[in-house]
Amino acid sequence: MDLLVQAALNGLLLGLVYALVALGLSLIWGVMEVVNLAHAEYLMLAMYATYWLWALGRVDPLVAAPVVLPLFFLLGWLTYRVLIRRVLAAPMVSQIFATFGLLFFLRYSAFAAFGPNVRGIWQSHLAGSLTVGPWYVGVPQLAAALVALGAFALLWLFLNRTKTGKALQATAQDRVVAQTLGIDVEQMFALAWGIGIAAAALAGVFLMPFYQVSPTVGDAFLLIAFASVVLGGFGTVAGALVGGIGIGLVENVLGALIAPTFKLLFAFAVFVLMLLVRPQGLVGE
Amino acid sequence: MSLLLLVAGLALVPLAVRDSFFLNAAIHVFLLGTAALGWNLIGGYAGQLSFGHAVFFGVGAYTSSVLLTRHGVWPWVGGPVGAALAVGLSLVIGAATFRLRRHFFALATLALAEITRITFLNWTYVEAAIGLYLPLHYRGRLAYLMWDGKVPYYLAGLALFAAALALTWWVDRTRMGLYLKATNQDADAAEALGLPTLRYKLWAMGASAALAALAGTLYAQYVLYIDPYTVMASRISLLVVVMALIGGRGTVFGPALGAAFIVLLSEYTRTALGHLGQGYDFILFGALIMLLAIYEPRGLLGLGRRARPHRAVPVVEGSAPAPLPASGTPQDRVALRVEGLSKRFGGVAALEAVDLVVRQGEVLGLIGPNGAGKSTLFDCITGFQRPDRGRVVVDGADLTARPPHALAHAGVVRTFQLVRVFPELTALENLLVAQPHRGESVWQALRPPAPAVRARAEALLRRVGLAASREVPAGELSYGQQKVLALAMALMTQAPVILLDEPTAGVHPALIQELVAQIRALNAEGRTFVVIEHHMEVVNALAHRVYFLAGGRVLAEGTPEAVRQDPQVLHAYYGH
Repeated sequence: MDLLVQAALNGLLLGLVYALVALGLSLIWGVMEVVNLAHAEYLMLAMYATYWLWALGRVDPLVAAPVVLPLFFLLGWLTYRVLIRRVLAAPMVSQIFATFGLLFFLRYSAFAAFGPNVRGIWQSHLAGSLTVGPWYVGVPQLAAALVALGAFALLWLFLNRTKTGKALQATAQDRVVAQTLGIDVEQMFALAWGIGIAAAALAGVFLMPFYQVSPTVGDAFLLIAFASVVLGGFGTVAGALVGGIGIGLVENVLGALIAPTFKLLFAFAVFVLMLLVRPQGLVGE
Repeated sequence: MSLLLLVAGLALVPLAVRDSFFLNAAIHVFLLGTAALGWNLIGGYAGQLSFGHAVFFGVGAYTSSVLLTRHGVWPWVGGPVGAALAVGLSLVIGAATFRLRRHFFALATLALAEITRITFLNWTYVEAAIGLYLPLHYRGRLAYLMWDGKVPYYLAGLALFAAALALTWWVDRTRMGLYLKATNQDADAAEALGLPTLRYKLWAMGASAALAALAGTLYAQYVLYIDPYTVMASRISLLVVVMALIGGRGTVFGPALGAAFIVLLSEYTRTALGHLGQGYDFILFGALIMLLAIYEPRGLLGLGRRARPHRAVPVVEGSAPAPLPASGTPQDRVALRVEGLSKRFGGVAALEAVDLVVRQGEVLGLIGPNGAGKSTLFDCITGFQRPDRGRVVVDGADLTARPPHALAHAGVVRTFQLVRVFPELTALENLLVAQPHRGESVWQALRPPAPAVRARAEALLRRVGLAASREVPAGELSYGQQKVLALAMALMTQAPVILLDEPTAGVHPALIQELVAQIRALNAEGRTFVVIEHHMEVVNALAHRVYFLAGGRVLAEGTPEAVRQDPQVLHAYYGH
């Protein structure tokens, strides 16, 4: 029983990080119906950025976040301006191809630049663990989960309390109507990419103290992010949160019960099951 | 013919060239090219993008290898068994995702690839991450498909590659190719014409997986050692996509061309740059895919085609308004009956207990203000929407909420308000896709269109005045011409009942006259029509009877004159 609660606790913390990765995927789909297959590659790049800041300048991930975040916001923005904008009017097939090409471009650029080795950080301020009764909570995991929760709260405030946030929501609902209301739809699309990629980067920064990076780390995270989005519901912020936590729980609890090696298998099982039973997701319409 | 020459020419190459570097590269071209041609069936023709074809390749390689090492089974048996397993796996994924929007299938294949690799890396029965060494059997070379030189592998690879090319060529020139392309370009429109799109997508998926699996088997026989990193790597999934994409997807020779280009490029950059070359070619491929997605989705073959001069679209000469032909006389027999049909969207009642009777041989008008539920009624009748309550009865058979193609098979075919044709198929091909599909098996679809069907398509094109445009892609026709083409496609299905959703909306006034004459003449020949229409003069000229819908209810029914004078109709239209 203790083991299960511990696994659920781990799952919940990690699930919040998954939710942060899934957020951008869901937001971008929600606003402009583009599936970003390269999403997890930005996470990988952010992990490398965090690693190199630490390895070369001994910059702690806690401090790295304010540097990495705006950088990846800009990167997301640029991705929209340079690539996505040009395939927006094309058939969905072309859009899927474009982000698929981007995935390989980014991944193998990382291979070329950093080599295939696995790299990790070992001296961060975020280290150690807390004991709560019979259970353990890793400090880096807790920090990542809290940051994720904070990011979701901020995004919620932004979307519902600011004019720009509301304009973004309006664009998601109907881009034509939004345009007639004087909303610069192009700006909104670019903004969605900026926010989405920055969220993935934030997850990457806070994963670094307890997770290692390699050029192919995106493989697993892309799958997890998609499973989360499908579980929660494509296109909604709440869906990403619910789905991420759900996948974190499923993965860790079933992993503890059956076999940890097959964690991803459970995520995939949930993914296929949801497609069969409820493709709109838990909180989708 | 050119295909035969190509294969024969390639088969003679080893007589002259014995260079093992070249032979090795050529074997890779054949094997990966086979997988790419397989990918092309589902990803190119049917437009369902798979990013996990390494799974099928790997399943093929592992099945035959495990059977050989553990049970001494010949790869001649192990290969087909592996192909069967791959087909089974592919159908599970296809069946789960093909009814959803396209990205779900792409995601599922991506996920499947990842999961399969993890499973195989941890599965001790298949030697997990250690990998499988195939036992050498140099005594029964042909039986065990194992040789100590490269030439036999070259020929075996070529044979498989030729088979894949032949299959693709066959698909391309038979109905199957047309059906898959139509499904890709507009699945709803294809369904409405009676095409069971799911069946054809599953067929393409299965054939695709089988080809990849057979290539995997032969690959394992060639390299004699497999592990999940080599035969299930995302690198293979990528290569296969890149080959088809760069060569030109949805074409016969594109993926083959792409395979040659990519493998040779890869091999030569590797020798030129050493181990450094490994990652760089993939950066290049990634960039190339992005560029192609932006500028030329049809690949290298598309670039070549672009260079050719463009055909001018012939203009339809307007004919002098002829006197209207006589229309038909309605019979007593009921062709289509709708009973108590209701449909709600959220809190809004789009249809409220609608009863409707369509008699054989009549033209029934469906009028009413915007948002009255007319198009929703069509959607519910033809299976595009599932009604909450009520029944749809065709010729006495209850067909409520059956898939659209089932309605078409029963003899009810619809057109769409915003015209839907297959934009990249020619006008003639559009009509060939619309041939009757009732009772058509997959085997029949693997034959070219029957001469009689082709003749009927030509005759229909002449009848609606599109004969001069028969070779023009439908997407390049004017809007009015597309509407006429859509009508011709509905006729091509030979369905006795045709539902027309605003046939004259957006059509040039000169063409409207012609359209009305066409419909009257067709009706005189015995076709039944249900027409949603806003132009009252068109309704008057066509309809024997009219239903008036408003707010999801039938408010009036009768002759056009009677309905026009009905106080409820006046109220709904003029507000007094």
